[in-house]
Parts: sequence; structure tokens; C-alpha cells
Amino acid sequence: MTVEFLVYGVINTLCVVLLSPLFVSLIKKVKAWSQGRQGPSVFQTYYTLAKLLKKEVIYSGNSSRIMRATPWVCISAVLVASLFVPLVFVTEPFGGIGNIILFLYLLVLVRFFMALSGLDAGSTFGGMGSSREMSISAVIEPTTIIVFAALAFVFKSMNIFDMVGTEVIAGIPVSPTLILIGISLFIILIVETSRIPVDNPETHLELTMIHEGMILEQSGRNLALMELTAAIKQTLLMALLINLIVPWGLSTTLSFAAIAVAVCLFAVKGAILSLVIGLFESSMAKMRFFRLPSLFMMAFFFSTLTIIIEVFA
Amino acid sequence: MTDPEFFNGIIKVLFVCVIITAAYIITTKNLISLVRAYALQSLALVLIALSLYWYEGAGILLAIAGITLIFKVIVIPYFISNVQEKIRIKRDIEFHFLSPTSSLLISLALMLLVYITLSRIVGINAVTGSAESPFFFGAVIGISLLLMGMMVTFSRKKAITKVLGYLSMENGVLLFGLFVTELPFIIEFLIIIDLVILILLTTILTVGIDSTLEEYHNRLHRFYLWEEQEESP
Repeated sequence: MTVEFLVYGVINTLCVVLLSPLFVSLIKKVKAWSQGRQGPSVFQTYYTLAKLLKKEVIYSGNSSRIMRATPWVCISAVLVASLFVPLVFVTEPFGGIGNIILFLYLLVLVRFFMALSGLDAGSTFGGMGSSREMSISAVIEPTTIIVFAALAFVFKSMNIFDMVGTEVIAGIPVSPTLILIGISLFIILIVETSRIPVDNPETHLELTMIHEGMILEQSGRNLALMELTAAIKQTLLMALLINLIVPWGLSTTLSFAAIAVAVCLFAVKGAILSLVIGLFESSMAKMRFFRLPSLFMMAFFFSTLTIIIEVFA
Repeated sequence: MTDPEFFNGIIKVLFVCVIITAAYIITTKNLISLVRAYALQSLALVLIALSLYWYEGAGILLAIAGITLIFKVIVIPYFISNVQEKIRIKRDIEFHFLSPTSSLLISLALMLLVYITLSRIVGINAVTGSAESPFFFGAVIGISLLLMGMMVTFSRKKAITKVLGYLSMENGVLLFGLFVTELPFIIEFLIIIDLVILILLTTILTVGIDSTLEEYHNRLHRFYLWEEQEESP
């Protein structure tokens, strides 16, 4: 392991942890604006997390060790996954870091433990949330794999570092088919972060909640960790979309000025993407559960098309 | 004089646009955006014709781009949205045989089928492709667009969406013609005239295609397509 990689790890993790809550509250703010409300401040998620960290943890009498371990498993898996996506600084990959298959498995590990903890406390809402989450993931998983296969095909590499590195050198999307992949990645971003056509992140209505249902039994510090996990996961998928479609400004050398510029640019690009997500969410109604596969099919269509165009044209 | 690499890049972007609009035409339920998607698709064809002109320098391409721009991007969408405003239908949610999702999957399969068949005919190795690939791939997209348009025509129930399917079929023919065989300009022009007549007929037929003549009269009144004073006895 080189020193450069260590520095990369520190910067990347800091960026992810510090920027994620900002994007979450920005999306909330945009949605509030579009509904004509003032909305909470853009720092609200930081305050909420700080408050939750100070609160006492209460476990249900029926819960087992899984409930106690889940928040830590989730946050560590997602933090490791965050090392796989270079946010502001691209360096040489080390070991297996950057492999897209491992990246996908880490995200699935998070999802698996969340579903388990939903079942663990024995509450009906948690069970319903877990069951829905698992049905959705069974349908979205093949699509996700095809999208990442298309990415690997376009860049002729299995490593996210190589992909982003190629993009930075080219300066523009290396292939027009990346537009199609961008659409697919956006749909996956919406699905994976439980946003509106799939799930409503703001509701605690028993008939509709998926993600909220699973973390209903978490409290205090554990809840803060789960919220942070969800926020980081969202930032990672956003960063993947941003850095593959508009890679300008990413730093490739280890210098203070370049990295500072890259951090600012990433925050701006992330804010713009949050705006788009917020507007998209405001303009959609929640879909009926059994109509969701048609949304996933859209992503599937575009990513398969990418492979066809890349192979044939 | 021109850079083939750059030309390939532009053509690829335009192909992607054409396919996105075709997918949108297959799946959307909103009539207004359906018409807009058709206009955008035609605009992409105009740009393809222009970049081909820039690459090859044949004047006929410029003429084709011109008539496509005037008729398919401006006149026909204008007529259709006019009709659509009058009949006051905003959405077409009825589908025969195929749901939009399965049509998308089938259109993927169609594209593969067309590619394999064409590569057999032309004699190109299906795996490695060929040197003049944008031209060959243009033909593939053209025929796939034609078949996708056909799918729209038979999977939708409303007459107005059937007509849009037919129009996007014609776009496929034009794309095929641009890349493979040079159709004589007079035929291009006649096709366009045909389309315009078709649209004019549609303005009448959309409301009355399944009615008797007496009922048809009443419907015209109901949909405000016929003013009182112009009425024939």
C-alpha cells in the first residue's frame, strides 16, 4: 500500500461522510420548495444525526444479536464500498479495491442485514418492509448487474478506478452510449435509495413504507448509523453517475489545490444532481407495487442497448 | 476534408437519440409527449441527413433534410396536436396483445434479429463488425425502427396512436434509405405527400373510423370538428 493510497482513503472517506447528509437535506429542501413550503434548513440532517448520536438505544424484548450488530455491519460495509468510488481524487487501485462485482456485493450485504433486522424485532411493519424490499431487490438486481456489465464493456475494465481514470483523461464521455447508461444509472439511483416512484422516504404510513419500515425499530445511535448508511449509499451512486458522465475537475495528482478544487466541484455537481432528483421526485406519483417492474425494464432496456451498440456499431 | 472519427461519434449520438425516442413512443401513455417524441425523432433524422451531407457532399441529402424538417418536424406534429386537442383525449392507456414493458423487450430481440439477418445478407462477420460500420448499423437501426413502429401500430388501440406508429415506421424507411440505398428524391417527396394526406384523413377518421355515416355526423358535432353553418344537409 502506498502513501498516496492512504491519503486517498482518508480524503475519500471524509468527503463521503461529510457531504452525504448535505445532499439528503438538499433533496428535501428542493421537494419542499416545489410544494410551496419553506422546508428544513440544508443542515438539518447534520443536526438530526448529532441529536440521535446522543440518545439512548432501546431494543425490543424480542430482538436478538442481529439487531445489535446490523448498524455496525451496515456502516462498515458501506464505508468500505465508499473506498471503491473515487469522489475527488483518482489514484492507482490497491488490491481488490475498485472491483465492481465486489462493490455490488457490499451494497447487497447492507441490504441483506437491513432486511434481517427488519424481521428481527418481530414487529409487523418491519416484516412487511423486509418482504417488499426483498421482492424489489429480486427484480432490480439483474438490471443492476446488466448496467454494470455495460459499464465494464464500454470501458473494457472491471475496475471503477480505471473507468473514472479513462474518463478524466478523455474529459468528455468516452462513448455516446454513456448517455444510455446514465439513464439506467439514474433509475438505479432512484430505486436503491428508495425514492418516490418506488418508495416514499417521508412517509410512515404502514401501507407504503419499505425502507422506513425496516428501520422502524432502530433507535438512538443505531438509528443514526442506519440513516448515515442510507445517505452514504446515495452519495456513492450519485458519485458514480457524476464521475462517469461529467468527469471534469477530478484531481489525478496529490496536490492540495487540485483536491480543493475537485471537492468544491464535486459538491456543486452533487448539489445539481440533488436538485434534479428532487424535481424528478416532485413530478412523479408513487407507482403501484406491481407496476414497478416496468420502471426497471426501462433501465434494463437501455443498458442492454448499450451493449448491443458497443458490440455492433 | 472531414474527420471520420468525429463523424462516427456524431452519428452514434444521433442513433442513440433515435432509439431513445423510439422507446419513448413505445411506452408512453401521454399523447402530447408522444407527438413531441415523434417530432424529436424526425429532428434527429434531419441532423443525420445533414451530417451525412457534410461527410459525403451529395446535394440530395440537403433536400431530404429540408423536406423532412418542414413536413415531419413542423407540419405533421402541428396537425396531429391540433386533432388531439379537439378530440380531448390526453392519454392512450389501452393496449392490445402487448404491454409497453413486453414491447420494449421484444424490440430488443427484434434489433438483435435484424442485426444477425442483415449481417448474413451483407456477409459481414457478426462478431467483429466491419470497416464501414456506421452505415451498416444505420441500416440495422432503420429496419428495427420500422419494426418497432409496426409494433406500436398493432399494440395500440386508439386510431391517433396507430397513425403515430405508422409515421415512425416511415422514419425507419427514411433512415434505411439514408444509409443504404439512395432513394430517388421524387419518391421521398411522394412519400411525404402521402403522409400529409394521411394526416389530413386522420383528422377526420380519428373520431369516426368505427361508426356509421349518420353516427359519424353526430360525433363530428360532439367533438366540435364541424361548425354549424358549414354543415351539409
